[in-house]
Amino acid sequence: MPAALLTLTAIRKRYGSTEALKGADFSLARGEIHALLGENGAGKSTLMKIAFGLVQPDGGRILVDGAEVIIRNPLAARRLGIGMVHQHFTDIPVFTVAENIALAAGWPPSGRGLRDRVRRLAEEAGLPLDPDALAGELSAGLRQRLEVLKALAGHARILLLDEPTSVLPPSEADTFLGLVQRLRDRGVATVLITHKLQEALAVADRITVLRAGEVIQTGAAQSERPETLATAMLGTAPARPAPRIRAAVGEVVINARDLAIPGAAGGGTGIRNASFQVRAGEVVGLAAVEGNGQRELLRALAGLARPARGTIQVTGPVSFIPEDRTSEGQIGELSLTENLVLSQGRAAPWAQHGWLDWPAAGRRAGELLERFDIRAPGPDVAAERLSGGNQQRQIIANAMERRPRVLLAENPVRGLDLRATAEVYDRLRRAAAEGAAVLVHLPDLDDLLDVADRILVLAAGELIPMPEGAGRDLIGRTMLGTRGQAAAG
Amino acid sequence: MDLLETFLTAAVRVATPLLLAALGETIAERAGVINLGIEGAMLAGALGAALGATAGGPLLGVAAATAAGLCISLLFAVVAVRFRANQIITGTAVTLAAVGLTGAIYRDAYGAEGVGLSLPTLGILPVPGLSRIPVLGEALFAQSALTYAAYLLVACCWWLLYRTSWGLGLRAAGEAAEHARASGVAVARVRMIAVLIGGALAGLAGASLVLAQVGTFAEKMTAGRGFIAIAIVVLGGWHPVRVALAALFFGAAMALQFLFQSFLLGVPYQLFLMLPYLLTLLVLAGAWGRTRAPGDLGRS
Repeated sequence: MPAALLTLTAIRKRYGSTEALKGADFSLARGEIHALLGENGAGKSTLMKIAFGLVQPDGGRILVDGAEVIIRNPLAARRLGIGMVHQHFTDIPVFTVAENIALAAGWPPSGRGLRDRVRRLAEEAGLPLDPDALAGELSAGLRQRLEVLKALAGHARILLLDEPTSVLPPSEADTFLGLVQRLRDRGVATVLITHKLQEALAVADRITVLRAGEVIQTGAAQSERPETLATAMLGTAPARPAPRIRAAVGEVVINARDLAIPGAAGGGTGIRNASFQVRAGEVVGLAAVEGNGQRELLRALAGLARPARGTIQVTGPVSFIPEDRTSEGQIGELSLTENLVLSQGRAAPWAQHGWLDWPAAGRRAGELLERFDIRAPGPDVAAERLSGGNQQRQIIANAMERRPRVLLAENPVRGLDLRATAEVYDRLRRAAAEGAAVLVHLPDLDDLLDVADRILVLAAGELIPMPEGAGRDLIGRTMLGTRGQAAAG
Repeated sequence: MDLLETFLTAAVRVATPLLLAALGETIAERAGVINLGIEGAMLAGALGAALGATAGGPLLGVAAATAAGLCISLLFAVVAVRFRANQIITGTAVTLAAVGLTGAIYRDAYGAEGVGLSLPTLGILPVPGLSRIPVLGEALFAQSALTYAAYLLVACCWWLLYRTSWGLGLRAAGEAAEHARASGVAVARVRMIAVLIGGALAGLAGASLVLAQVGTFAEKMTAGRGFIAIAIVVLGGWHPVRVALAALFFGAAMALQFLFQSFLLGVPYQLFLMLPYLLTLLVLAGAWGRTRAPGDLGRS
């Protein structure tokens, strides 16, 4: 085996009373892609943040090229040739691609010279990107590409990718992973933090599994099997998916005719022509490549956007679970009780003639914690203090509390681990069983086929219903359709 | 010289302190700091200019004004940036403190009456050739050295913000401090320096008010010009060149007010005095939302 480029030995880190890392060992060899696999909260991100100088360890040693180093901050890490791509975008949306890279690399931002330099960097890395585009107007895939270029601009030899595909739609995720493999061929060693088994198996050379702050196993990727990896991650064999309950399909609760909705500013095709119905008791999957109008369609049905043409009839109450839980799903600074009250409007039992009965709302919020298995110290804590999975449980709880006839869910499993994802799918199916119409968009087509009774495809702003039992192939091809690759560029 | 030329010349003269203060505030706000203390820094600059000019002529006045603006904004920077106090409250407090402080120093230096304080002023320096351009020549190129300095500073600010690494880091600090920090920008230090630059320019604005416009000092003489400068920054969309145009627009409004006062004698003059402030309100109501403020403006 070639000499290790980066070695972490017996790393310990404690946050208050929880031990995030209990003496974890990890090593990255030259020219490899090493997947760091684990559930949310297993300590993967913490371990890599330590390697990048964002977090200081309580104990353990770090070696780069065999020499012991202390990495005090990201600047020190960059000087050692370590670059990191974080779980969320860290670009400045109103800056151009070139300006963002100049900022990360410390290059002077002067006009033409910079543009050429950025173009050269992008070409050398095999990640072409328009230097003059505004970062905020790029598709998620291109924005992630920008993050990698920012990390590489400082001559990184070691690239730490923290769940890089969690922000990407599936087609772009595959492209992105292909790029990571190409980078390996150019001599960049990569740590791929992920909770997706398939991803690790598909691109990694080696896989290390972390569970509850401890390394469970490390080994070559070819010799691993998904079942054993899942067991290593979860500690127990993964639960089998619950058998599908097929509810009785009832009356039409969503009836859209000849819809046209303008695209959101700065991207997306919007909807050009859509007519469809959804009945009570159905789970309908909305399959689309990022930016093909699903955002606009769901918001129009939720009453948040106005169609330019056509009619929408929706039987209320309607609940909408937006994709971004931190910016749209809830208000992080407010408590769980306050978020519950906000989500229920004036018809709630605690709202009487404009006065709020806070004790009653608080009691209800407490009941929901129990019923939806939300792990929180109590209903009075700020929503942002909960982990991602628990925030999503709370948002779903609030959505269900309205007793919706129509439940609209936009990628409700974004950033969630296996267990939490399975639970969300189960909730959606149960909502349908209780008589709601569920319209759900998921970027992962396989998951969507698992959850949904039937599929509607959105491609280039056109809505195309799929026949019941349509296979993955047909749906995938329809999604990419002749005009369908608008956003994949 | 006809009426139009007189008006335009007055407009540019009146606009100069507004422009200097607004440029400084542009730098501070692009770094993410809203400094309401520039009203106070400008007032301190005005007093510094008066004291300096009395002691050693107009040039010393300019130097003392800059130093005074720096000192006042250093106070703001330490409290609002270093100790992360609320920027609005800190700025207001700094301005109120400067009103009290300048009043006390003024009475101590010139006596409680202080009537008829007459200061040596900066002369008019007509630019040969250019000042002969019909209509606009006189207005733009027969002004004091501070007006020319202001023109030059517009270019300097633009270059600083858009052509240097430091300026890029500064804009990043104002847009998304957290992300800027992740890219290695020393956000607090950058903001500190931006506020100090803003303070120095506000001091210079005070000097131009005293030494190139009024020729005397009076308590509270800035009369809200610092706040008008903040409105100018908004109207100018946080861009130095557009801020300069916005400052000229406000200068024209103030000059118009003088014109009205001398021609419409029957109307109470207080109504005309309101004009620039009314305009400020209209601008803030109309321009907000159309232009985009730096993302992290005002967040400490």
